[in-house]
Amino acid sequence: MNRNAEASLLVGAALLASLGVAMVNFTLGRGFDAQVALTFLVWILSFGSVSFALRRWAPAASPYLLPLAAILAAIGFTEIYRLDAGLAAIQRWSLLLAGAMAVLVLFLLRGEGVRQLRRYRYLFLTVGVLLLLMPLLPDSFPIHGAEINGSRLWVRFQGLSFQPGELAKLFLALFLASYLADNHVAMSAHTRRVFGLGFPPLRHFGPIIIAGGVSFVVLVYQRDLGASLLLFALFVGMAYIATGRRSYLAAGGLFVAIGGVVAYQAFAHVQRRVGAWIRPFDDYSDTGYQIAQALFAMGSGSISGSGIGLGRPDLIPAAATDFIFAAVAEEMGFAGSVAVIAAYALLVAAGFGIALRTRDVFRKFLAASLTIVLGVQSLLILAGVLRLFPVTGITLPFMSYGGSSLLANMILVALLARISHTGRSV
Amino acid sequence: MPALFLNILKLIFLGLVYLFLWQIARSIGAHVGPGQRSKQTKVADELTVIRSETMAGQTVRIGAGIVIGRSDEANFIIDDTYASDFHARIGQQQDKVLLTDLGSTNGTYVNGRRITVPTSLGKGDTVQIGKTIFEVR
Repeated sequence: MNRNAEASLLVGAALLASLGVAMVNFTLGRGFDAQVALTFLVWILSFGSVSFALRRWAPAASPYLLPLAAILAAIGFTEIYRLDAGLAAIQRWSLLLAGAMAVLVLFLLRGEGVRQLRRYRYLFLTVGVLLLLMPLLPDSFPIHGAEINGSRLWVRFQGLSFQPGELAKLFLALFLASYLADNHVAMSAHTRRVFGLGFPPLRHFGPIIIAGGVSFVVLVYQRDLGASLLLFALFVGMAYIATGRRSYLAAGGLFVAIGGVVAYQAFAHVQRRVGAWIRPFDDYSDTGYQIAQALFAMGSGSISGSGIGLGRPDLIPAAATDFIFAAVAEEMGFAGSVAVIAAYALLVAAGFGIALRTRDVFRKFLAASLTIVLGVQSLLILAGVLRLFPVTGITLPFMSYGGSSLLANMILVALLARISHTGRSV
Repeated sequence: MPALFLNILKLIFLGLVYLFLWQIARSIGAHVGPGQRSKQTKVADELTVIRSETMAGQTVRIGAGIVIGRSDEANFIIDDTYASDFHARIGQQQDKVLLTDLGSTNGTYVNGRRITVPTSLGKGDTVQIGKTIFEVR
């Protein structure tokens, strides 16, 4: 596959998005014909401009990432449009903005590539942590935090709201890749053995302990279980990938187990989440309602779904954002859900493939950590919707309604693509 | 009638989604995984950088044909001040792999000899562009 195959797949994704919109118009009798053309145009403009930027500044980049993002966005957008045409209109603007930002990133990295980012490690760490903590700004400030559905994740400025945590993940991934590129050799040295596992000197667990601390702060003050777990998984996963030492996984697992028990004992919001997960029908009308509705929706979807516009995904709370997968499972059925999961699996495979093929350690680790961010985030919310795990309240990359998420994930894909340009054989 | 029509439409949509994913899945396999070492082909199909300040170990597949040079437009961008913007082209012709110098300033060398005409490459040959040395694999 090459850039031309990528371009034709992108046209295919644009056609799928407009076909989805046309089907919604037809079944719901909306009859906005302009919406179909508009959707096609937005897909071509947004993904097409990123594809053009790759052609110009990273011609050898992996051609798989962008089409996979485009089809996930197309499936998600169909459901968003089906649920609320107003949200869909905003989502289209977000998609254009996200595409423009991805082009800007590729432009800025056109010369030296991602390599130049290695030296700004502590700047990235600071920016990442500040972004994470930004929603804690008091309400009296011009830029202030805001609480929606019991989680304090949003920042408002003059009526605009965004989720800084989405971008924070990228900055922390950059920090981690750079830190590990310099320290992975020292971190993989063993000095003592405990229970058959070799352990490096204690000070090398520093980043893991910091990660645990930051995750805990996020969990306690922002009541955001998802971001907390995601960050922790990123730090522990990368420590393992960089060193090949299972002791980091063991230490991380232990930390999660202890932290989980403590959090469950201490915080009512964690107890509610876990309770709703284990027994959603015990408190059907309140805490269990969302999961119960999602289960009904997915169950009634059957093999090929009710048909787009023919189910009732509007009954699921947060169907357009966190629970978009339940809406897809209802209206596109098991077949549609498996396609979505397969698309994420292919994205993750492509991402780790890029990491494996890249020789330079910084870019190798960066590709791996970006892939972990994308993969773990998708996994957490998919598992939450499927009731395999407590609901964590994070967005499904590319599919959920939400500008910050779309923006961060498009930039993530642009960075991965730029890494693959120099790192792999053509 | 509308129910049947909607059902067909639904299946067409799903079919298109799977067709799309199939197109990607089909060719992604070759690009996932650490290396080319497992793939043994008879014809020379890739170049590995064996001597370079910054690019040692990188591998480039020849495929249908590639242009090597310092320019951003080259298929394989070489980090070497002694190479020209578009230094040399390697392409397949029948079952031969041909190396052509594109009028470079410092010349292209195969096994230490400067080439003046398109030269056929085999496995194990070395190609020098600027100060960078590739091995054909």
